[in-house]
Amino acid sequence: MKYTFPGVFAFLLFLTTVFACQSEEEIKRQRYITEGILVYKNNCANCHQPKGEGLAALYPPLAKSDYLGDKNSVICLIRYGQKGPIVVNGKTYNHPMPAQPQLSDLEVAELVTYIYNEWGNEKKVTSVTDVTPILKECKK
Amino acid sequence: MLTRKLKPALIRLCSFCKRNSSATLLITLAVLLLRCNSSGDKLPILGEREAVTKTVDGKPVTDSVDHTIPDFKFISQYGDTVTAKTVSGKIYVADFFFTSCPTICPKMKVQLKRVYEKFKGNPNVILLSHTIDPAHDSVSVLNQFAKDLGVTDHQWLFVTGDREKIYDIGQGSYMVTAQEDASAPGGVVHSGAFILVDKERHIRGIYDGTTEAGVDKLINDMNRLLAEYTS
Repeated sequence: MKYTFPGVFAFLLFLTTVFACQSEEEIKRQRYITEGILVYKNNCANCHQPKGEGLAALYPPLAKSDYLGDKNSVICLIRYGQKGPIVVNGKTYNHPMPAQPQLSDLEVAELVTYIYNEWGNEKKVTSVTDVTPILKECKK
Repeated sequence: MLTRKLKPALIRLCSFCKRNSSATLLITLAVLLLRCNSSGDKLPILGEREAVTKTVDGKPVTDSVDHTIPDFKFISQYGDTVTAKTVSGKIYVADFFFTSCPTICPKMKVQLKRVYEKFKGNPNVILLSHTIDPAHDSVSVLNQFAKDLGVTDHQWLFVTGDREKIYDIGQGSYMVTAQEDASAPGGVVHSGAFILVDKERHIRGIYDGTTEAGVDKLINDMNRLLAEYTS
């Protein structure tokens, strides 16, 4: 059997297109995660610890945390902080978390993407277009 | 077992020594020097010497003494009074923080917790954390904070008290910086230092309480300081 040149070319073109499409989404995910790691280190890791394990009964963990089930609430408390008792994995924590108004919508999206890919069993981007309407909603 | 292995090694070493007497001398010197470095020297006493006027035989005599932490009086997370008497006969680590601080304090507390775990139950060691936000950090706030951090004994005391006195002793005696700054998160900028104080209340070391390396050094120096009292 003989391969024709145009045939091989068309096949290669097809392959390139398929992989390019996949990797564009993947590249975006990687970019969000890379930025998210930085945002986490600079704004969250002091209390919640570099590996997300939290600090004793003072600050709740993010790793293996059932609180991640409510993503909207996670997004809102990153921007607006948290006061009063909060229950994580059946344990009550009661030390206020300061609001982080300095973080842009994009930074919140990058941070949430990192948190959910690292500790929430997700393999996708939570993009800024997802986050902005939620942040608008919880401002009310 | 051990001697069987050790013997031939020693014999080899001895024949080497016979052949190279100058090398032996060097090795001996090196061993002696290393020994001196690891156990011989004491931790320095930090701070400027201070002039003190005493009355001797009815005459005022001025002398200089090592920088010493003056007497103090604060209130612990259990509501009892903490003074220099509380730390007498012990070495202690002092630091300055506040419970609502989101920046370096949690890092410091993670590291000081490591020190606490390391020296837990040692009657010669105390940890003394001063709040620099006494308006917010009342006895009950400090009590809850300590409990949530996993501290339930009197070996790690969280103290509050008169704001001016805390700042004075921090800046004047423990040589740390602390000042209010509305632009900083939490409203106060302060140093992340841990200060090691000996039984005579002299400062023997200042360490970066925000890093693991800094606190590894503190733990090492605490052991050295404790050894000074046993030898």
